[in-house]
Amino acid sequence: MQKEILIVGLNHRSAPIEVRESVAFEASHLREALAQLRAYPAIQEGVILSTCNRVEVVAAAADGPSAAAEIKKFLDEQGARRNTGQLDDHVYAYQGADAVRHVFRVAASLDSMVVGEPQILGQLKDYYSAAQEAGSVGAILHRLFHRAFSVAKRVRTETGIASRAVSVSSVAVDLARRIFDRFDDKTVMLIGAGKMGGLMARHLQSNGARSLMVTNRTFERAVELAGSIHGSPILFEDFPRYLKIADLVIGCTGAQEVLIDAGAVGAILKERKHKPMFFIDIGDRRNFDSQINKLDNAYLYNIDDLQAVANENLQERSNEAEKAETIVLEEVENFTRWIHSLEQVPTIAALRQRFDEIGRKEMEKSLTGGLKGLSDEQREALENMTTAIINKMLHGPISQLKKNAQQEDDEGTLYVAALKRLFDLEGK
Amino acid sequence: MDVTFLKIAALFYLLAGVSFALYVFFQRDVVSKLSPLIVACGFAAHTAALGVHFFQTGYPNVTQFREALSFYSWVMVAGYLVVHFKYRLSVLGAIIAPLAFLMTLAAFAFGTGSEALPPELKSYWLPVHVTVAFLGNAAFALAFGVSLIYLLSERQLKHKKMTLLMKRFPSLETLDRLNYIFLVWGFPLMTLGIVSGSMWAAIHWGSYWSWDPRQISSGIAWLFYGALLHGRATGLRGRKAALLTTFGFCVVIGYFLWGEAIFPSRHGGRFD
Repeated sequence: MQKEILIVGLNHRSAPIEVRESVAFEASHLREALAQLRAYPAIQEGVILSTCNRVEVVAAAADGPSAAAEIKKFLDEQGARRNTGQLDDHVYAYQGADAVRHVFRVAASLDSMVVGEPQILGQLKDYYSAAQEAGSVGAILHRLFHRAFSVAKRVRTETGIASRAVSVSSVAVDLARRIFDRFDDKTVMLIGAGKMGGLMARHLQSNGARSLMVTNRTFERAVELAGSIHGSPILFEDFPRYLKIADLVIGCTGAQEVLIDAGAVGAILKERKHKPMFFIDIGDRRNFDSQINKLDNAYLYNIDDLQAVANENLQERSNEAEKAETIVLEEVENFTRWIHSLEQVPTIAALRQRFDEIGRKEMEKSLTGGLKGLSDEQREALENMTTAIINKMLHGPISQLKKNAQQEDDEGTLYVAALKRLFDLEGK
Repeated sequence: MDVTFLKIAALFYLLAGVSFALYVFFQRDVVSKLSPLIVACGFAAHTAALGVHFFQTGYPNVTQFREALSFYSWVMVAGYLVVHFKYRLSVLGAIIAPLAFLMTLAAFAFGTGSEALPPELKSYWLPVHVTVAFLGNAAFALAFGVSLIYLLSERQLKHKKMTLLMKRFPSLETLDRLNYIFLVWGFPLMTLGIVSGSMWAAIHWGSYWSWDPRQISSGIAWLFYGALLHGRATGLRGRKAALLTTFGFCVVIGYFLWGEAIFPSRHGGRFD
């Protein structure tokens, strides 16, 4: 009997974080959970995917609707251990081509909270191999996941979906990369102990920045923040003196006034022999003189500029996402064809079996009835004739089916369905 | 003169130019590895073209304008290939490949007739002088290339308009450093070119310096690049350095292309 692909689960759109967390599977219990899943009678193959944004079960089953019901029950039980209420409102279920499309979209990061984020593919691969190790992956899910991985790769190379930074802090790092080749020989100065500034400093550190100065009007807070991000605290009064060794200056203060004016930067640049400086102004008010950007070798971006770039990139991403959707649809079609082509093999076998059966029964009937007393030679001739008739009659239909199987088009499916009905092959 | 190889080289450079354009403007990553290889193929054909001529005649074919042009682009492409394999600076090819195509195209479009080497040029000084002079010029051509990219990239950063184009550009820091490296290589080579030229002139014309237009123009260019190098050593960098490099190259190449037509010179390789 033909297997169907289905996916049941919840994600960041369908369920709030508390519900997602209540159903989430811990990595240490995954093997166990997969065994429980497989224990359900209707489920033949299964993969569990559990990240902070989604908990989903992908399965292959002969009886789609009952398998879907079983997975819902499975998720309910998982949630019940943590005493959450009904999941029904949050759970979605897809079958057939819709399920395939969903899996492909997840792999290609089209279903992610931040479209195009790269982690999901790695997570998908991990959960797939866990399921494979647990022995709950068969031919269908094997093919499905490998197709999903290559769809993701295709989307990544053929569209610009993941090529642009979409958060303010990654945009800033991106811009810094266009000015500086490397960060490990650069010095970062962080003015103000605001949350965003700290975040950006960390982001720069993870990109290689090593030397970091932190200053704040309240020196204790500078010391505190410097301690948590491995920087050196400097007195607020002293920071202008240190500016000349800073390549990246991040301003994130609550100050109302301009802290660094263009004239001062001009003098500092001269002292630095015009080594470039990048000013990032992300405080509530403008702390850096906007004229700084007019100076040669000095670049100034404030929070609005960064946000504008981020928005533009996000817009670009959604444009690219449309291209990606087209790729996904194309691949779903290919996959569906493959699934249908699988149906033809068992149909051919069933058809032959059916004919052989009829031949055998009728022979027996005749040999025990009107043709009783035939010699062995005559019997053999009769058997040969019956087999020949069956073969001749089946030759046309079977070679047609085989041809369709190779072509993998819709016509093939139609013939299979027709043959099943005409010769009552269901359930064989 | 057989120009088959030269035509093949030009064809490869054209192909590489198209492939680089696809890479830079249409974000086709596939061609990023392919394009430098196409340039390398063009370079091989180009080398063959120059080699065949050398073995047929026994002297490098640089004495006519179109030949000099071909030799110049050959040296420039060699420089690009070295830079590419050292710094992985694919995008520079987007400027060098079309330039090389135009130069090789011009090299056979201006006629293919072969002329005997003028007797006064039959000298060992010829390959020495021409090679160092063109190596220097090729370094300046590469400096020009990175300066153009620098100016483009810097403009976008200042105007806060990001385009996908910029993704292909190296950082300003890298571009500026390369500009400096090319200058540091180019200037001594140019100096050697002028020195070797003067010594040759002393032997054949009887004087190291005879205020020949070519000598004057090279002298001015030498002073310009010397001043630029000095400036760089004392803190000139970024946009101003890129602008000056671009300007200097435009003057030099402009003179190379048309100068001799205006100021007749005794120097070989003129356009006639």
